[in-house]
Amino acid sequence: MSLVHLQGSWTPWLGRLTLSVILYHNGIVDGAFVFAAVTGIVILGVITYYRKWGYLIREWITSLDHKKIGVMYILIGLVMMFRGFIDALMIRTQQMMADGPDSPGHLQALHGYLPPYHFDQIYSSHGTIMILFAVTPILVGLMNLIVPLQIGARDMAFPYLNAVSLWLTAAGAGLVMASLFIGDFSHAGWIGLIPLTELPYSPGVGVDYWMWAIQIGSVGTTLGTVNLIATIVKMRAPGMTWFRMPIFTWTALSTNIIGLTAFPVLGVALALLGCDRYLGTHFYTAGLGGNLMLFTDLFWIWGHPEVYFLVLPAFGIISEIIPTFSERPLFGYITMVAATFAIAGISWSVWLHHFFTMGAGPDVNGFFSVATMLVGIPTGVKVFNWAFTLYRGRLRFDTPMLWAVGAVFLLLVGGLTGMMLAIPPINYTIHNSVFVVAHFHCMVLVVAFSIFGAIAYWFPKVFGFRLDEHNGKRVFACFSLGTFLVFAAMFALGFMGMTRRLDYLADPHWKPLLIVEEIGVFFYCVACYYFFRMLHVSIRDRAKNRVGADAWGTGRSPEWIARSPVPFYNFAATPHFNALDEAAWRRGQGLSDVAPRDYEPIATPKNTIAPPLIGALAFGFGFGMVWRIWWMAGLSLIAIIGVVILRSFATETEHVISAEQIRSMETTGSSVGIVTDHISPPVAEAEAFL
Amino acid sequence: MAPLGLGGCSIRQFPLFDPAGPISGAELRFTIIDVVVVLCIILPTTVAICLFMWRYRRSRNAAYDATWSRSIPFEIAMWGIPLAIVALLAYFSLQGTFEVNPYEPGALAHRAAGRRALTINVIATDWQWLFVYPKQHIAMVDDLVIPAGRDIRFRLTSTSVVNDFYIPQLIGMIDVMPGMRTKDITRVRRRGTYEGFSADLSGAGFSWMRFPTHVVSAAAFRDFVAKIQAKHGNLTYARFERLARPTINLDEKPAFFPAVAPHLFGRIVAAALHGKTYTTPEHLTAHMAENARHHAPYLEQAVNRH
Repeated sequence: MSLVHLQGSWTPWLGRLTLSVILYHNGIVDGAFVFAAVTGIVILGVITYYRKWGYLIREWITSLDHKKIGVMYILIGLVMMFRGFIDALMIRTQQMMADGPDSPGHLQALHGYLPPYHFDQIYSSHGTIMILFAVTPILVGLMNLIVPLQIGARDMAFPYLNAVSLWLTAAGAGLVMASLFIGDFSHAGWIGLIPLTELPYSPGVGVDYWMWAIQIGSVGTTLGTVNLIATIVKMRAPGMTWFRMPIFTWTALSTNIIGLTAFPVLGVALALLGCDRYLGTHFYTAGLGGNLMLFTDLFWIWGHPEVYFLVLPAFGIISEIIPTFSERPLFGYITMVAATFAIAGISWSVWLHHFFTMGAGPDVNGFFSVATMLVGIPTGVKVFNWAFTLYRGRLRFDTPMLWAVGAVFLLLVGGLTGMMLAIPPINYTIHNSVFVVAHFHCMVLVVAFSIFGAIAYWFPKVFGFRLDEHNGKRVFACFSLGTFLVFAAMFALGFMGMTRRLDYLADPHWKPLLIVEEIGVFFYCVACYYFFRMLHVSIRDRAKNRVGADAWGTGRSPEWIARSPVPFYNFAATPHFNALDEAAWRRGQGLSDVAPRDYEPIATPKNTIAPPLIGALAFGFGFGMVWRIWWMAGLSLIAIIGVVILRSFATETEHVISAEQIRSMETTGSSVGIVTDHISPPVAEAEAFL
Repeated sequence: MAPLGLGGCSIRQFPLFDPAGPISGAELRFTIIDVVVVLCIILPTTVAICLFMWRYRRSRNAAYDATWSRSIPFEIAMWGIPLAIVALLAYFSLQGTFEVNPYEPGALAHRAAGRRALTINVIATDWQWLFVYPKQHIAMVDDLVIPAGRDIRFRLTSTSVVNDFYIPQLIGMIDVMPGMRTKDITRVRRRGTYEGFSADLSGAGFSWMRFPTHVVSAAAFRDFVAKIQAKHGNLTYARFERLARPTINLDEKPAFFPAVAPHLFGRIVAAALHGKTYTTPEHLTAHMAENARHHAPYLEQAVNRH
């Protein structure tokens, strides 16, 4: 303990944890706590009442099925996205209320209703959650779901590792949520502004929560990238040559190469920050030989590739949806693949544009400015490709198509403003302004639009029925209107000189536009309501919306030749691929309904409790480190290693389903998808490890 | 909707469109060039996509081609047009980067006739700005006065964390970092008062790190300096250390010092390099519940206001 100077008390058993950090006297945190507690009790109560604990543990928590893991990733991401949205709502409300020197203060705040450190924590958690615990898990979940189906694989290359990735991500998300009620979260922005994150300027546990949540979550993401790369390289079915791979799989490959090379940098950057905060080293301090720009460099060497880690799969999704609803092949497939890898390649050489204002000379800034603008070339190519896919098509505007086209328009706005920010003389005037905030929200919303499109597009593949179109379109309309109002106003505010992260806004002239933004947020709230209603109506009326293998009738890539809902073994017989856009090719040849003549036994991975156990222990480790409860962190770490070693002795990790069982399931058409009411025998038998 | 909300706004509310000196003027010029060039490609693309969406929707039964998916000339154009645009923008970007280079801006290549540059040392603390005029031996907190028509050289550092120094109508953003010294330079044509502020989050008092910048005539500047020099009080290093403790200048009141310890700027940089920090007290960051005003003595008004 003597290595660093800690303000406040510390005891060996509880570390920095005291009762006072839990018992707040803050109306907002109390309200959130009551809401979370009531929701939690209701959910647990419902599960207990319907006796679903066994089902949940057997069918989901211990599952190694890539589709169930994908669905769980997406669920975690959607829950966190909702949390992140509530943060956004609070940010917008605070800024609207705290505009002008005469604006009143409530709840002990001088202006608005949030005192500075509370407000700072809210936007820090908004950014951290949205990027790392909402959008990233949802995209990883989608790749988990779809990539094996698109290449004709039965599962991921390493199903056990896949589940470990999921539960580490869940542990990270859990730490962020825990910070809401026990202690507080970082106030230094999601990017961890240095040296604000150093112990003298962030003496509490907030930065530690931020650091360990990201660290643990990103270990999960890194392991996931290894898995997806191995799957794509090694698990392709016969005939699935490189240039027959669906474009989404190509983007998954490029994005995971980015992830694998970039995430370790983040790990190192945060570990060195950890050394500063826990061991009293001077990696990033201003004095004593430290260099604070080192953190900024390392963070953005990860941070910018991370942006493309998010946006490339989104481009892949758009490239899947547009051809399906245009009833045409994707224009310029090879060009699209080349553009994808060009973007991935450039992504490593542009990080410095995040701090053009550090006082670098024109040579350094000039280089990174030109490198940044190069990204515009392959991105432009992609937009042209989509435009020419629409050309001479037969366009249907079902919900997925609406989201995809919406994403393209947002990309155009994001591209225009990105080209402005890439130029240093312009950057000096709008860097750190809300113009930047609006720009990157446009880009991240390209991803969000694609995600909502992907959910609508692939939902029937996974669950066997379509989402309700009526409510789906309402979600799209409200979400788009909200996006327009919030970000059009925000761009204007950027030119009015409004900078980021202001708890109090001195200029009363900003008020009208801040109110416009608040109205936009209201439309997002309405979109949320329709989203839940869409889920409710879709599940209620699922019998009406059942679909066959090709849910949209014009599907092109290979996932549409698997049954809907996809059985746990994916394909009854290993498919053989004959063309790019296999589903469209088979439809053209009249082969859509061909059933295999012979069936062979299929081996599927058995369930195991090890991954969720590792996730729970990782949470324990993170929590122990945050509060400096050394025994807890140490024991958790030892236990993780123990579980990994124990599991490595398990030899019978696969369950073989006989050809007869497959034949009977296929011919009776018995529902063996992932939301069946009756559990199929082979899965039910799969006993848990330990 | 948003433009409607702007209907009643004047240019004064868009400081970025109302530059008052050659640096911010150059910045606006390059903004306009960039937007025009990029729109040359984005507007036609947007129109084309809208047109295709309308023309080829299924209910219209327009011409349909189920197979056309490649075309060498089209694909060459697809790569070539963005490449040409980016090449053009790269030229402007490099030109602009040299034009507003904070160390040696091309925009100020023509020296202000016969006048030597005025040096101002900018020191960011938690959470105030201290401006030291080394030649004039005066200093002031959260208030900046500069003469029009003369080159103003800023040397910037911070005691604690990173801030961004920014006066939208006069000078672009530049980082202010502890243990380091950045430089920037500007010249202002038009007299008046301009808003300056920190543009990079630095903690609880960040929102209040604002300072009015008064651009006055050369004569008025001389009078102003003489007026400050006639006051009492000396900014010694010890006094500076008290000043630099975490303080939110909630009412944005300025303070003035007629005499400043020599080499104050250098001592501050050296102290940061030797590990000096101005620790934020935990009760300020934790639990979030209390009003900023209640955190005496740290958040009381800066010492010895006039």
